[in-house]
Amino acid sequence: MPIFTKIQKDRYIDSLETLNQTAVLNDQPGIVSGYVGMATAVFKEVIEEIGLGTPEVQSCTEADYVIAAEADSEEAFENAVKALAGNNASAEETEEKKYYSNIRSAVTEHPRANLCQIAVPGEYALEEVKKALNAGMHCCVFSNNVPLDQEREMKELAREKGLLCMGPDCGVANINGAALVLSSINNRGPFGIVGASGTGIQHVAAILHEAGTGVSQTIGTGGNDLKEPVGGITMLMGIDALEADPETKYIILISRKPADSVLQKMLERIRTMKKPRVVFFMGCDKETIEETGAVWADNLDNCALRALELIGNTYSLGSLEEIKETAKEAVQGMAPEQKYVRAAYTGGTYLDEGMRTMWDVTGGIWSNAPLSSEWKLEGETSKGHTAIDYGEEEFTLGRPHPAIDASIRRPAILKEAADPETAVIVLDFILTPPGHMDPCGYVVPDIIKAQQIAKARGGKIAFVASVLGTTADWQDIRKQEEELREAGVYVCRTNYRAALLASEIIKLRKETA
Amino acid sequence: MSDVSKMLSLFRSELVVVNVGPRSFSEVLEKQGYEAVQVDWKPAAGGDKHMQELLEYLGGFE
Repeated sequence: MPIFTKIQKDRYIDSLETLNQTAVLNDQPGIVSGYVGMATAVFKEVIEEIGLGTPEVQSCTEADYVIAAEADSEEAFENAVKALAGNNASAEETEEKKYYSNIRSAVTEHPRANLCQIAVPGEYALEEVKKALNAGMHCCVFSNNVPLDQEREMKELAREKGLLCMGPDCGVANINGAALVLSSINNRGPFGIVGASGTGIQHVAAILHEAGTGVSQTIGTGGNDLKEPVGGITMLMGIDALEADPETKYIILISRKPADSVLQKMLERIRTMKKPRVVFFMGCDKETIEETGAVWADNLDNCALRALELIGNTYSLGSLEEIKETAKEAVQGMAPEQKYVRAAYTGGTYLDEGMRTMWDVTGGIWSNAPLSSEWKLEGETSKGHTAIDYGEEEFTLGRPHPAIDASIRRPAILKEAADPETAVIVLDFILTPPGHMDPCGYVVPDIIKAQQIAKARGGKIAFVASVLGTTADWQDIRKQEEELREAGVYVCRTNYRAALLASEIIKLRKETA
Repeated sequence: MSDVSKMLSLFRSELVVVNVGPRSFSEVLEKQGYEAVQVDWKPAAGGDKHMQELLEYLGGFE
């Protein structure tokens, strides 16, 4: 099919805007695949890789804006370009708002500004963070790919000024009730959270919300904060702030296992904390944590439940028996050759949790981000049990996170369904204000099609899913879950429970084999 | 222990966010009822690294 391009010289559009445009372009009729961006070196590389490169695009400069697509016809492409232009025009026309070209002029006119949210390419993050900190603002830095020495530099400057530097690579933070970057909208309550995992924070906060309580503040540190070169600067400052904050009665700390030296520093600080606290440091044993006077948690579900126990709330996520019953129902009607789980995740934390949960039953799981290197999946075709993180760079280079751009993960459903050995497809969904407004509804047509494919060859696929979000999210978690259920999906309360259900199904398939 | 006064002051104040990056991030904050000030960021000197270094050296980055 032919490739079309439209180039506008010397027109600058910011990277996330072009990413949104890419999503809009790919939704237009007659567009097979499309890509929009400023013609940077990375853009040119990506566009070659995805087969949309042309000599014309290669000769563009970084100041040129490019729309490229493989389309059914020139007319379809032109219509899609018009749709993008319409999208831009309506956004520009309706706004009387003032836009600033730099932090200094924005702060001069808005001296009450107290927090700066920064999402620029990683190589520019340090400069912008320094400007924001020097202007007296706390920072929430979504930019990723920032070298660790630069992360250290921005966090040391923040500490010197007594300002919070959340991130780089901070996807979740909830300050004064505002859902920043990719957070969910949460009820407010007595729990303060500091976490080095965005999904982790969001997961625990969502369960607290569901149980009728909420969060005072959630402070995302970025995934690298507890690594040796950064030394946990933001987590330590976050603990200090929440300890002193009168609205915060309980504190929850979440991270992958910190570097050894950082762990020692953390444990010392946790030991001197005055407020009741729950600590989930993935892979840290019970004794180490409890010795500090903290409550130990060994997974995200458990972390939220232990926290709820502190306020006498006996909220339950359901029993193992329920999962076993559901598994029995789910295997009805499967064909003899159906034996594998295929999981398509939008983020690394859930991928990890899913694989760890299923591993005992499934044995080795192939992945693009495997638990051990011998299970590294090469190429794009799943084999045996496979779990793929669609948030990894190979899928998101030059594109937004799959929580924003649901089209990144979309091909997974029909691809996995095409394999007659697929028994279970596991999916996660994440709700956030800048995200897709109907992420579950968006994939329902593919789920229905997948079931038709399986049925035509005499089988049935068990779709197992979990939705991370709250009733306060604009997408509404209840509505999202309902859309999936109506399409025959087994919706679990959490990702961990979804992985348990997938394991039970595989166990039953093994028994009948 | 770090000096917590500015962090506590943030928690007690009305949130006013300067957003440096995509406009959609500003829009969703406003829709949640918070004040957001948008900075339409673009790389200095049209992304020309050499020029940026020169500008920075001359103190004229903004």
